[in-house]
Amino acid sequence: MDPIVACQNITRHYRQGIIDVPAVQGVDLNIMKGEFASLAGPSGSGKTTLLNIIGGLDRPSGGTVAIDGEEISQLGANKLADLRLRKIGFVFQAYNLIPVLSAAENVQFVLQLMGISKSERRRRAQDVLSQVGLSGLEDRRPARLSGGQQQRVAVARALASRPAIVLADEPTANLDSHAAEGLISLMKDLNRSSGITFLMATHDPRVIAHTSRHIVITDGRIASDEKRHNSPE
Amino acid sequence: MLAGLAWRNIWRQPQRTVLSLMSISLSGAITVFVLSMQLGTYAIMKQNVLRLLDGYAQLQPLHYASDPGLRKTIAHPRKVMAQLRSIPGVTAAAPRASSYVILASGSRSYGAEVLGVEPAREIHVSSLSGTMIEGRFLNSHDTNAAVVGAGLARNLKLKLGSKLTLLGSARDGSIAADVLVVRGVFSTGSPQVDRQIIEIPLSRFQSDFVMGERVNTIALVGRNLSTINANIPALQRLAHKDRLVVRDWTKLEPALHDVILLDMSFSVLLYASLIIVVTFIILNTLLMSILERTREFGTLLALGMRPAQIGSMIWFELLLLAGAGMLIGVILGSAATYIFVKHGIAFGGAEALFRQWHMPSTLYPELSLMTALAGPLAISLAISIAGIIPYLRIRRLTPLSAMRST
Repeated sequence: MDPIVACQNITRHYRQGIIDVPAVQGVDLNIMKGEFASLAGPSGSGKTTLLNIIGGLDRPSGGTVAIDGEEISQLGANKLADLRLRKIGFVFQAYNLIPVLSAAENVQFVLQLMGISKSERRRRAQDVLSQVGLSGLEDRRPARLSGGQQQRVAVARALASRPAIVLADEPTANLDSHAAEGLISLMKDLNRSSGITFLMATHDPRVIAHTSRHIVITDGRIASDEKRHNSPE
Repeated sequence: MLAGLAWRNIWRQPQRTVLSLMSISLSGAITVFVLSMQLGTYAIMKQNVLRLLDGYAQLQPLHYASDPGLRKTIAHPRKVMAQLRSIPGVTAAAPRASSYVILASGSRSYGAEVLGVEPAREIHVSSLSGTMIEGRFLNSHDTNAAVVGAGLARNLKLKLGSKLTLLGSARDGSIAADVLVVRGVFSTGSPQVDRQIIEIPLSRFQSDFVMGERVNTIALVGRNLSTINANIPALQRLAHKDRLVVRDWTKLEPALHDVILLDMSFSVLLYASLIIVVTFIILNTLLMSILERTREFGTLLALGMRPAQIGSMIWFELLLLAGAGMLIGVILGSAATYIFVKHGIAFGGAEALFRQWHMPSTLYPELSLMTALAGPLAISLAISIAGIIPYLRIRRLTPLSAMRST
């Protein structure tokens, strides 16, 4: 089976004045379809940089990245935007919803960018919002939703385009423990029931405890990559 | 959805949006009123100056304007007058002959311009007959009657019924001499006209100056100046057949034309300054709003929106703002102007100044589609064009740099 994410010898260097700072150094990583993986490491270890490179938000200094079989390292800005739109779902730490749009409209927005018809947009938005447990809150704007609810909308938005992978950057960092537990369960359920692939950069031991694969990155290199088959329910 | 999103984005900061709308609409409204006022004033100036004597256009012999003389004539004025009836827009025409003469009364004598006019036609072309302060204007039964300007009457000590001796050169080189009786005195408000002009029946003039049927000019008017201006080409074709030329109002009153052009040039500078100031205010507001939303643009880019799409959305916001501002400006400006179209604006105490240009001291703006739209449209257009700056700025954004911005 081809991997959803295939990274080969990824490096990423930043210039800080005259100093060349290596953020990611020679990372080889494959994420297979249906995996529920966490990417952990101390601050400055390079986990977010790696996640950004996989998500097409940043370009590697060296090496190649393929998403769902498509090499993305050399794609132009517009093609990369199209790839993000169709193949990658993002969940950000700060939810990053569009404040002037309702929950349903936030979800539909991505679908509209994809050129999906209005009726299909509505149907899909209703489905995913119901999947994340937000039925009845479709018309609420983000300001009138709790942090947990907003992050659920963000998950719904990420799922609506039926991406090859959902990348989540510290998804529980801004949530209280109750909301965080709920979100983890939700993502785990979606992974199990729909086979959606998740890769999450996180510090949160609660998230890590639920993942079936745990990758630790230190000083820009993969320090450990542990697959677990009996993560807690 | 882009349009809907743009509209909602505009109203994120209602106070700021209202202030921006007010800037656009008030400046638009000002341009509507000032431009209407300006064009209304020009129209009154042109109307009053041209209707006094010149008419809206004249047919003249070739080179008559540069070197007027009795030898340069329209040989068959009746035929030309008949042909003028076929020109659309021409409502009245009056044949005239003119010459410079010495006028004498008692021991006094003055130089003057004598105009031979057909009273029945003249009253439809010239408003001079309406400025009589003593006696009456000429009529078709008059033979040796004359009407003179108030200044000329004063200089020659003329009263109604006074006899006046006219002395000049006839067309054939002989002496043109006549004794006329003053039947009326006019006061146009123009010292030059009131000091220099005397009008007598055209038939008397033609007889005194051995003109036969000939005249020097045919003055004509239409429903308004623009209808005549629109028909200048047709008049030129007609004139060309008889070896005549058409002189439009700009050639009949070049000083007035120059004054209007000069005033217009200064006004354009003022309008341009207003437009530039408003554009910078709106652009500044928009750039602030973009700065505040850069993180959000980063999210949109991350989600798969192209930079050009975000740039277009921002431009759309600007277009909506400019469009709404323009609409309000047109409505406000037109409504305010309309009130003054009905009631006029009185400039009490400035009568003498206004009289120089044959203008009343109450002015009326001229509200038209052009005056209502030109200013607000120019402002909106300038703002829309200035939108290229935020558009280009957004096009340079990358998802990460935008999301990391504070």
